[in-house]
Amino acid sequence: MPTLDAHIVKARRVLTVDVRLRLEQGERLALFGASGAGKSTVLSCLAGIETPDAGRVQFGDTAFFPPNLPLYLRSLAYLTQSDSLFPHLSVADNVCFGLRGHESNGASQWVEELKQRLELGPLWNESARRISGGQARRVALARMLARRPPLVLLDEPFTALDRPTIDELLDAILQWHHALGFTLIAVDHRVDILEKLCTRAIAIEDGRVVQEGAWPELIAAPATPKLARLLSA
Amino acid sequence: MLAFTLTLLYPLVGLCAPVGHWQWNGSIPGSTASAVRVSLVLTGIALLVDVILGTPVAWYLARHTGRDKIAWEAAVLISVLMPPLALGILLSLAFGPTTAPGAWLLRMGVPTANSPLAFAATQVYVSIGYYIVAARAALAAVPGDLERIAALLGLRPWQVFRRVTFPLARLGFAAALSLAWVRALGEFGAVIVTAYYPSGMPVQIWINLQDAGMPAVMPLLVVFLLTALPLPWVIHLLAQRRHADANA
Repeated sequence: MPTLDAHIVKARRVLTVDVRLRLEQGERLALFGASGAGKSTVLSCLAGIETPDAGRVQFGDTAFFPPNLPLYLRSLAYLTQSDSLFPHLSVADNVCFGLRGHESNGASQWVEELKQRLELGPLWNESARRISGGQARRVALARMLARRPPLVLLDEPFTALDRPTIDELLDAILQWHHALGFTLIAVDHRVDILEKLCTRAIAIEDGRVVQEGAWPELIAAPATPKLARLLSA
Repeated sequence: MLAFTLTLLYPLVGLCAPVGHWQWNGSIPGSTASAVRVSLVLTGIALLVDVILGTPVAWYLARHTGRDKIAWEAAVLISVLMPPLALGILLSLAFGPTTAPGAWLLRMGVPTANSPLAFAATQVYVSIGYYIVAARAALAAVPGDLERIAALLGLRPWQVFRRVTFPLARLGFAAALSLAWVRALGEFGAVIVTAYYPSGMPVQIWINLQDAGMPAVMPLLVVFLLTALPLPWVIHLLAQRRHADANA
């Protein structure tokens, strides 16, 4: 069972991020904190988009860092704040982009499920340039999950979406998590979303972990005044 | 706009100028067919070299963020800014048969002056900078985020280039190829120094002008225009049509 064990040190211009985290297979962890606390940096370093200055990232038997493992060898999915769809491709080609050479093991059935659940049918052959922001978010989610990754990283996954859509996507992600058993780390500044999505949270302030535990513990006794304000917002 | 376009295209009326009966070959040394063949074949080879060598360099310059990048860019720009005649003279001085590399190549049976190799190499020198500058701009316009997402979806770097970077930069690559083609095919100043023989179209036009005057120049001039212009035009139209299709 792959366990994620990470210690990330990354110096930024205004702060140095120094965060340790450990997740068992299938755990759902929230990285919580104010804007600029270093949450996205942690996610970006885990994904390999940024290279940590020090520390280590181990996922099961695979060392992501050090040395820095090439992105194409990392068995993870990363949903960034922007959708980053491939504009020259259709919605269908975007969703199936990472599946070439991996079509076996019921991939088409799984893609069909993503297509139905995320209501991508009417858009399926549309160009990715011509769909709305909310639709693009759903396509990005489907593309990310199409390869059935064992580790899923979500960086503010519901930006610019309305509440009914967010609830719908949250339900879908939780259902797929139950079915696929992936390990999940989500970053957001909205407590209500993270509370629903993740069972455990790490609170980060100025690049450091200030509290870690289940949501009820954090809400009942926040470690810092800043965290208390964020949790009550 | 109309006035500007008419002014821009006005020199073409020169094709109807009364210069006397046009002469096709006749007593002029070299032939039109041979000059066309030399120009097209060797420019094609030079373009291939531009693409093979220039594309990785353009990619490096577009994606690399290190401080040394300024030095590499300056080196590429020197080749773009170099006056062709100066470049031809420098190439002769650096690679001519009396130099160490030139003498060595000559011993290997590869003459570095007045040979197809000299012709094509000179074309590469004059055109590759233009290709790199245009291709670099095209690659820089492709968001790095998309390449990273593609890599995280399991694509190796060359697959990312083939499936994401190149399709998105295609229009810019078409412009880069067109520029390099026109630059290489039309090169005269450098080629006349390094490879007077085999004569390509620009040098042959010069020979015709010297030996027989304008009547001998006009036919080759027409052929020159007909071979130089369509390829970039077709590449540009094809790339634009595909771009429009993708946006439709």
